[in-house]
Amino acid sequence: MVSPGTRTWSIGEALAAPFRRLSSDQQRWLILTLLAIAAVVFPLIDRNEGDIDAAANATAFAVLALGLNIVVGLAGLLDLGYAAFFAIGAYFYGVTSSWQFHPEWSSFWEPLQWLGVVVHYHANGEDVVHFTLSFWIAMPLAALVAAFFGVLFGAPTLRLRGDYLAIVTLGFGEIVPIVVRNWPTLTNGAMGLNGVQAPSLFGYSFGVTSSPYYYLGVGLIALLIFVSSRLKDSRVGRAWMAIREDEIAAGAMGVNRVKLKLLAFAVGAGFAGATGTFYVAKLQTATPDMFMFPVSVMILVMIVLGGMGSVYGVVLAAVILQLLQSWFLQDLSGWMHVLGRAVGNDWMQQIDLTQSIELIFGIILVLMMLYRRQGLIPATRATRALTLEQQTALPSRGTIDVDLRVVAPSELKPGTAMLEVEKLVKAFGGITAVKEVDLRVEPGSIVALIGPNGSGKTTLFNLITGMNAPDRGRISLLGEDITAVPSHLIVERGIARTFQNLRLFNNMTVLENILVGQHSRTKTGAVGAVLHTQTMLAEERETREHALEIVGIFGNRLMPRLNQVAKELSYANRRRLEIARALASRPKILLLDEPTAGMNPAETLELAEQIKSLRRMGLTVFLIEHKLNVVNELADKILVLDHGEKIAEGTAEQVHAKPEVLEAYLGRKVAHA
Amino acid sequence: MTSIRRRLLLATALGAGVSLAIAGLGGPTPAQGAEKSVTIGIDLPLTGADAEGATRIKYGAEMAIDEANAKGGVAGYKLDMMTLNDATASAGQYDPAQAATNAKKFVSDPNVVAAIGPEMSGAGKAMAPILSAGDLAIITPSSTNPDITDPKFAGQFRPAGKAIYFRTVTTDAFQGPNMANYMRDTLKMKSVYILDDSGAYGVGIANAYEGQAKKIGVKVLGHDQLNPKEADYTTALTKIKALNPDAVYYGGVAGAGVKFVKQSYDVMPKTIKAGGDGVFGPEYLSAVGFPAAEGLYATNASPHVTEDPAAQEWVKRYSERYKVQPDDYAITAYDAALVIIDSIKRVAASGKPVNHSNVRDAIQSAKVKTLQGEVSFDENGDINSRVVSVFQIKHNPKYPVDDIIHQYKYIGVAPQSPAS
Amino acid sequence: MTFGDVLIQQVINGVSLGAIYSLLALGFTMVYGIIELINFAHFNVFMVGSFLAMYILEALGLNGQNVILTGFPLVGVLAVALVGTMLLSGALGVLIERTALRPLRGVPGTAAMITTIGVSYILFNLVLLTIGADAFNFPNPMPKVRWGEGGVVLQLREVLVWLVAFLLMAGLNYFVRHTKMGKAMQATAQDQEAARMMGVEVDRVVMITFFLGSALAGAAGLVFGLYYNYTNFAIGYTAGLRAFTAAVLGGIGNIPGAMIGGVIIGLIESLGGQLLEVRWTDVIIFSVLVLVLVFRPSGLFGRAAVTKS
Repeated sequence: MVSPGTRTWSIGEALAAPFRRLSSDQQRWLILTLLAIAAVVFPLIDRNEGDIDAAANATAFAVLALGLNIVVGLAGLLDLGYAAFFAIGAYFYGVTSSWQFHPEWSSFWEPLQWLGVVVHYHANGEDVVHFTLSFWIAMPLAALVAAFFGVLFGAPTLRLRGDYLAIVTLGFGEIVPIVVRNWPTLTNGAMGLNGVQAPSLFGYSFGVTSSPYYYLGVGLIALLIFVSSRLKDSRVGRAWMAIREDEIAAGAMGVNRVKLKLLAFAVGAGFAGATGTFYVAKLQTATPDMFMFPVSVMILVMIVLGGMGSVYGVVLAAVILQLLQSWFLQDLSGWMHVLGRAVGNDWMQQIDLTQSIELIFGIILVLMMLYRRQGLIPATRATRALTLEQQTALPSRGTIDVDLRVVAPSELKPGTAMLEVEKLVKAFGGITAVKEVDLRVEPGSIVALIGPNGSGKTTLFNLITGMNAPDRGRISLLGEDITAVPSHLIVERGIARTFQNLRLFNNMTVLENILVGQHSRTKTGAVGAVLHTQTMLAEERETREHALEIVGIFGNRLMPRLNQVAKELSYANRRRLEIARALASRPKILLLDEPTAGMNPAETLELAEQIKSLRRMGLTVFLIEHKLNVVNELADKILVLDHGEKIAEGTAEQVHAKPEVLEAYLGRKVAHA
Repeated sequence: MTSIRRRLLLATALGAGVSLAIAGLGGPTPAQGAEKSVTIGIDLPLTGADAEGATRIKYGAEMAIDEANAKGGVAGYKLDMMTLNDATASAGQYDPAQAATNAKKFVSDPNVVAAIGPEMSGAGKAMAPILSAGDLAIITPSSTNPDITDPKFAGQFRPAGKAIYFRTVTTDAFQGPNMANYMRDTLKMKSVYILDDSGAYGVGIANAYEGQAKKIGVKVLGHDQLNPKEADYTTALTKIKALNPDAVYYGGVAGAGVKFVKQSYDVMPKTIKAGGDGVFGPEYLSAVGFPAAEGLYATNASPHVTEDPAAQEWVKRYSERYKVQPDDYAITAYDAALVIIDSIKRVAASGKPVNHSNVRDAIQSAKVKTLQGEVSFDENGDINSRVVSVFQIKHNPKYPVDDIIHQYKYIGVAPQSPAS
Repeated sequence: MTFGDVLIQQVINGVSLGAIYSLLALGFTMVYGIIELINFAHFNVFMVGSFLAMYILEALGLNGQNVILTGFPLVGVLAVALVGTMLLSGALGVLIERTALRPLRGVPGTAAMITTIGVSYILFNLVLLTIGADAFNFPNPMPKVRWGEGGVVLQLREVLVWLVAFLLMAGLNYFVRHTKMGKAMQATAQDQEAARMMGVEVDRVVMITFFLGSALAGAAGLVFGLYYNYTNFAIGYTAGLRAFTAAVLGGIGNIPGAMIGGVIIGLIESLGGQLLEVRWTDVIIFSVLVLVLVFRPSGLFGRAAVTKS
């Protein structure tokens, strides 16, 4: 029993005590350094070539897992045919540096010989070209070639739902080895490539010793962990995660889904292509059987085990599974044999546990999906719970004057509407959702759109924000026609929105949600993300500062919760977060779809105040609302929609007086009662 | 630190501790005593699609080694076996990468003086360069792809120069073409359709067969591939039937072969069906059954010995001990072990240290009397005798259905060159 | 054989193949139609079903093709085998649903599908590790009856396959359309929440769906064994991909569509093999799969529920 005031220290705690005194960052560096030292020293301690070879194989699979992690873990695209890119990279190097092709020598090949890409081979009566592309050049080239195929195979899947996307990628993953097998002139088919060249560094050829490959593999892992981490924690990485969480909302926040999905496929494929080159250089042969569906599944298992989206988790899982297969299970089988001999059990003496590795893969998949979907090392760190004081703090309304950098009404030509809609029509099959609607929203005003359920309000919002295309009519923003602009460019133009049923990026933090909101205002790409260019760092700093400003509008509602994952927030906070995310994009006009839905009266009032303060900061607000007290309080102008038609427009008094409005809400009999 | 990190550290420490313990203890350590011992490595695909055949091979080698040990070892050395599996679950059969890892394990263990295996040539291709670098000889009882010992590819498969890949079987360079000769001469075949199972071995032997068939004037009506994963070959068989060849030659193993034999009995029961050593095996009897299996021709890349009275007694010993019938590759494996044992004896007798280099040299110059006759190797490692034996399935109701010794009837030798 | 004869024969071959794919696609497409789950495990339940059928037939005294029956005994034996296989496979399906899939019912995304990949692996490897990699001669009591010799040949087994496939499809269709449980299944397919609110026991509906789907897979396993006189641990894989493509082609979720899709895939296989080369069949079929999913995801007859809204 531990009584308050005393502490019983276990040995483990005693040993860990000095460790705990370090800061979290320092702890992480220490763990990584220890692991790095262990990795470097390993071949010197264990001099068994077989073990080092198995470890080198493990590094290859770890890199593959990192690559798939980007596609599946970050971007949420379930690729079941990942081994195809592994094969492409392998055969690219295999074909350009082996004895597969030997065309007749002619002067055409001379410049290539000068470059060192081919060699003139004349012996045994043959006078041919021998391809000898250097491994070090081939590896990045193979990555590029694989990336190209990544885009090629990914392109057809862009509009497909998750499980269908998986099936199409599975299809491509099957087609590639079959093509390889049936194209013997290129690949020597099922018999496998002969004599793939080993890499050589400064004249020293790697040959068949395992250590150089092992170190190369470790280097690859380190490099790609670096690249993955940089990508993950960047504008591109957040955009990927936004696509994973909610594609529609991501588009509405300015993320170009097509470009980013293809980028994810390309980067993932590139990782695999580079690894393919490494793997085949080590084995010095390649057969199509090495790249079939079970390999793709194995890498998927590594990601599921390690934690989708988690860089270190995935590497750890890859190492665990590979070592399990080529070391642990073998030794365990050996033990079982000894035990079997001791007890005289026949079955135990014969058992070979290494063959059950695929069974173990299946079990891991099922168990992880059922009990620990976030993997061994979850991608999102558990956040500290709020202290009691923080939880019970009285909310302070934000009074910060945020510079939203909106267009001041004074800058505009008089008479320009912020938003204008002319004769907009949209029909879905037999139902006309929006019938010839006209409206104007003046700059700096708050306009409310009301109407019974099903009257077309949200459809109108979807048309304005480019999520659906109208059948007829025109939409313009500050005079410019935006009718045909797609949703991810609408944000750039200056329209931001929230959603009726909340579309937050649930597994991303509050801060990350808001950072994604600024996607359209920033431009760092993948290269900048990895290299941490000055522009990128400056951009990250600015966007974070701006995010904090926006959060400040909501007082201390969201501020203490910046690192909490969106799905853990209270309902009202989630509504606020969506508004904050929309605000972050520096819109000119904000479209709010039932922002106070589900809030209690106190929260509603608070939000109404915040909306008013937004107007004071120069923002134009167009909102859909059901709570008439809010509408009356806030709106300069009210529009009433019923069955897709605008039936009234004006101030609150004007609108409430109209019989059509009462009829629409309450029904004919009552209105005339 | 956070609880996750603490747990991770604890888990890592625990894991590392357990791994070290297991690695350190590993399997049983051989008795280190006054007894000298050397190790013979065995590399076979003991699980997956080729497990049956591989196990018979293992038993063949094991029997020779156990017999030698029972006689007090070889020149005072006890013989240990290091048996490694080159099949992985993800390949479902032999895996070249695993074979390479196994080769490295053999090479880095100084106790290993020679090895037996692999069963499949695809594994051999991956192992050869590693063994060459380590100057360790391996004798394969069943790998028949000619490339590995072909001097043309010496730069790839034996970069260190000396032959290390020895065979107690001859290669597909003879197995395929010799059967073409036999079928033209003895079976009077004038036209043939060729199938392979898209595997490394199957494509090789089918191509070799095709080359020879064309050379000796047999009409090759077509060459297509069967997918071992598919169940239904009626499309291909219907197409072949319409072309009406005298014979169909199948290069490949049981995965597609069994279905091919079964289904071709339905579609074209009268057409001659033949294959290489990949159609010589118990599955063709048990899974195909009679009458469908009746009449199938198979070859073996070694002299036929299991009916030889001298070998009968060996067959009896083998089947009593292991409860299965041996096949011809069990014999070539036994013979491979005999060669190694003889080589170790000679090295010890010459006074030189018994290590892998010297044993390799001794193997190169071996002339050993074995069940299949006298075995010796040429400078590439190929066996000097290049006999291809022909068999045909003829149902013998006196014996169990899957008894390959009695259901496959030996009918003769496939000639190396055609009659004219 | 004239070229015309060959073509006709290949059409017969293709249509028979198609029947097997249809049968296999039937259960798969039904499960997808009702709970929108791509169940990878379906095709290994098929494989297990064929082994179960083999053991049942052996228990009934059959051995290879040595024991031939006709008339009543034949029908009786086959009926017993069919019912037994379907019940056992159905039970396996329910077990899978209960343990591995029910806990994931509400989880969005591909989690459930990934789990079915895991279950598929488990089934496959359990069979491989226990029964082994060998092929087995499937016990078959049917007499070898063929019509037409030399030229175009039609075999009894081909007729059988179509008979069984058709009966099962008709039975399933009737069940889904005209029984109370069938209506409950349709309701669940449309909207689980609403169905629950209308008093439909969704848990039970899903369980029955899985039972039926897996029973159909088992039936397909028996039919496969009888057709080819053969079974082994790997039959789920390729047959599965073909049947999957058939289901997608016909419109996933659509029962008659699965039949038509199956026939089309069978014909592609046989005519493609005849006119091109057999070695390209897999590539052709996969290309069909990819093309359908990309350009017409709802297939020939299905609902357009595949793309994102």
